[in-house]
Amino acid sequence: MAAEPQGSMTLEEQARVLPSGEREFFLDVHTTDLEVNFGPQHPATHGVMRILMRADGEVITGAQPHLGYLHRCAEKIGENVEWLQYLPYTDRYDYLAAMNNNLGYSMAVEALMPGLELPRRAHMIRTICAELNRIGSHLIAFGTYGLDIGAFTPFFYAFREREWMMALFEKICGARLTYSYIRIGGVFNDAPPGWLEEVGRFCDVFEEKWKEYVDLLVMNQIFVKRTADVGVIPKEMALDFGLTGPMLRGSGVDFDLRRDMPYSLYGEMLKDNAFDVIVGKGEKGTLGDCWDRTYCRVYEMMESIKIVRWCLERIEPGPVLGDIPKVLRIPPGEAYVGIENPRGELGHYVASDGGKVATRVRVRGPSFTNVSVLEDLLPGALIADAIAIIGSTDVVIGETDR
Amino acid sequence: MDGGNIFLTLLQKIAPAGVPSWVLVLSACLVGIGILVGLVSVLVMFAVWLERKVSGHIQCRFGPMYAGGWHGWAQSLADGIKLLAKEDLIPLGADAALFVLAPAIMLAAIFGAMAAMPLAPSVYFANLNLGLFAILAMSSMTTIGVVMAGWASNSKWALYGAMREAAQVVAYEIPLGISLLVPLMVIGTLNLGEASARQAGWFGMHWVLFQNPFVLPASILFFTASLAETKRAPFDLPESESELVAGFMTEYSGIRWSFFFLEEYAAMFLMSVVGAVFFLGGFESPFTHIARESFGSDSVAYQVVAGGTLMTKAMFGVFLMMWIRWTLPRVRIDQVMSMGYKYLTPLALLCVLGAGIWEAIFPGATP
Amino acid sequence: MNFDGIHDRLRVIQAPGLLGADLPRAAIPGAKHGESKDAGRGGDAFVLVDPQKIVPFLHVCRDEDRLRFDVLVDLSATDPKAEDPNLWININLLSVERRQRLAIKALLPKTDLKMPSSTAIYRAAQWHERECAEMFGITFVGHPDPRHVLLPDDWVGYPLRKDYVFPKEYHGISCE
Repeated sequence: MAAEPQGSMTLEEQARVLPSGEREFFLDVHTTDLEVNFGPQHPATHGVMRILMRADGEVITGAQPHLGYLHRCAEKIGENVEWLQYLPYTDRYDYLAAMNNNLGYSMAVEALMPGLELPRRAHMIRTICAELNRIGSHLIAFGTYGLDIGAFTPFFYAFREREWMMALFEKICGARLTYSYIRIGGVFNDAPPGWLEEVGRFCDVFEEKWKEYVDLLVMNQIFVKRTADVGVIPKEMALDFGLTGPMLRGSGVDFDLRRDMPYSLYGEMLKDNAFDVIVGKGEKGTLGDCWDRTYCRVYEMMESIKIVRWCLERIEPGPVLGDIPKVLRIPPGEAYVGIENPRGELGHYVASDGGKVATRVRVRGPSFTNVSVLEDLLPGALIADAIAIIGSTDVVIGETDR
Repeated sequence: MDGGNIFLTLLQKIAPAGVPSWVLVLSACLVGIGILVGLVSVLVMFAVWLERKVSGHIQCRFGPMYAGGWHGWAQSLADGIKLLAKEDLIPLGADAALFVLAPAIMLAAIFGAMAAMPLAPSVYFANLNLGLFAILAMSSMTTIGVVMAGWASNSKWALYGAMREAAQVVAYEIPLGISLLVPLMVIGTLNLGEASARQAGWFGMHWVLFQNPFVLPASILFFTASLAETKRAPFDLPESESELVAGFMTEYSGIRWSFFFLEEYAAMFLMSVVGAVFFLGGFESPFTHIARESFGSDSVAYQVVAGGTLMTKAMFGVFLMMWIRWTLPRVRIDQVMSMGYKYLTPLALLCVLGAGIWEAIFPGATP
Repeated sequence: MNFDGIHDRLRVIQAPGLLGADLPRAAIPGAKHGESKDAGRGGDAFVLVDPQKIVPFLHVCRDEDRLRFDVLVDLSATDPKAEDPNLWININLLSVERRQRLAIKALLPKTDLKMPSSTAIYRAAQWHERECAEMFGITFVGHPDPRHVLLPDDWVGYPLRKDYVFPKEYHGISCE
């Protein structure tokens, strides 16, 4: 901003005329904006993202996210490795919800093979794993958001449950974070004996602990004061920016891919009314504020438990992998399949020309669009609110940068 | 109670005849300082260990378990040795003189405040008749150190932390002081030892807390204001937040960084002692009463029991501060300021008004 | 509405830039995967659009009553083969109200990689177009903020093209 040299205006010139006709004098005080770097390294576990902020005192006047610190050329690699070899790369974009990534990629490739039949047990296990991973991902979102706000304890409680979930996944596929378990045609191998019973026990214990989380953090007066009316995203802005998932539902838009454009077993679940979709209601402040998004995520965990229980009641023994050849050549075509990731709509656009290697694997990561909203949301907020807003977008930089 | 210093008295007894008195006074001061610094250091090491244990158990984990064997009691010692061995870093572009001076000023302020604190009825460093006033005055000098640290670090985030700290501490000095007027009205003296003595009696019925219905709200206000003064959660914006790097302490490492923590735990302890003396009876408890009756006021046993009572009460206050830190999230700076000025200060004034009216209507037993 | 319904609606209202549609075709009976006789195409149906008229087309998609595609889900590009003269622009729209999706494809000649920016219609396009531009070398005319989003600001070349040659070194760091 161009600043006039101090003292160049007379006192008369500096006066403003108010609507009432009075003249208001003000001193020629200039405060320069401070440019602060919310750098690539910061303790909030969102990953490596850099936001260049301009702040006038405590109020932010401009924000510019800089990405690319975790860009690992996943899309280029997709054009150079075979179809099945690409699966471990899919784990690594949203590493907190890797099962969902595997699911999205597998479903996109399966859409190009219309004759392929997946056994029912494969669908069941896929759904159980995806929903358990959704719970795990939301636990991290909730725990680290508490950490950002200053509540140190809910983080540990959330990780206690997440450890159990990761132990469950370790039993079924051998890995704790990046699973490569949900493959094209089904899942890799069957659940070991006793696994399903342990999942049932996990659901029971989780329900009690969930009440603790709500009481300890979500309904805590200080937390509400920090997050209500902060970072309000009105409905039109959310749709215009392409937000999906809890970001969209927190703004009051009742849309969930699992219910509204069902895939896998979700269509059947609709008939049994197995789960609800949690939509923000503006309970503690304006509709679309950070509290609403946190509310959506925390309450969605209970809905995932309901889905897991639904699957546990109906699962039958059987094969878990469909009939796919060892050397996979996918018929030519293009398909876009979007599934409901914990962070929003994870879309895979896959193009094949009939060969062993894809022509294009495009990953539409929800965090990429979720971060873009920060450019318009941060200006006007206080610096302390910036933390609350960035935490509520629940970005995972692996997904933003791929 | 004599106006002298116990160390001076002891030195006068054991010194050879020809030594001039100024040498004795100087030595007494040095001995006192040495004991104070040593005591506070040990206390702080214990408090750090306690914090880690308390936080661990609240968070469903154990805390330190290895260093030293039994529940990691030597963890703070090990950390202290590690910090001593670290490189002494002064960032490029930082104002080196202020950078080095800032933790020194904070420590000097807090140790100066602790000089007015008695360890036992006859063991004190300075029996000040203006004890409480001195403590409040000296402990508020730590703000200078914080602002110096933030400015001298040559880092924007440190500066933010320092500015917030200055605003917060100044804002909460007011309810801190005003809420302390209430027990003063009841007890009538600023001298910590004397204030304790006036609460003597069986089963704590003479504690200030039970003398006047307005003391309870005043004590809660005092506790809240002391949390803000010592920069503890939920008011720990200056150190923990500033965008989650360490606030005004960002550029400090090694032993200088540990000075800030020494100051923080010493301040916590000091505030707890003030609260214990002026609200919870100080040295007095049924055990001290029994000790005084059985062994007499001059005996060592009585001193030990009285000192132990004060320590227990102070440690309970410290534990309460830690408990709250690990339970509640942080309050934002503008909410902190509005809470201090718009809610705590008027409430404190109301308590003073009410306590004064109560004392006028029902004059207490204390002179 | 299913794809046919959407395509019909677009034709009826004469959406600007609409060139046609392509639907999945079953493979020749008996042909095996990857065989040259397998002229089928699996996957999604898409509408083909003239890239220079993309802005009025998206306008119609967003505002037309029975379409109401209010969310731009994805805007990306594909380089099908090094020898292919065109790049594909793939746009995916979603209607939250009507629960329907639409896949749009536009063919951009590699010799003239310019097309108007859709930022005016969907704010979501802004960042997606930035990524397309840096990865393929497409210029989005009228884009408010054409900086690199994922690659460093001084990166040379367009990585996702099939004829991209990897650099040997970057700022003194070897890329072998």
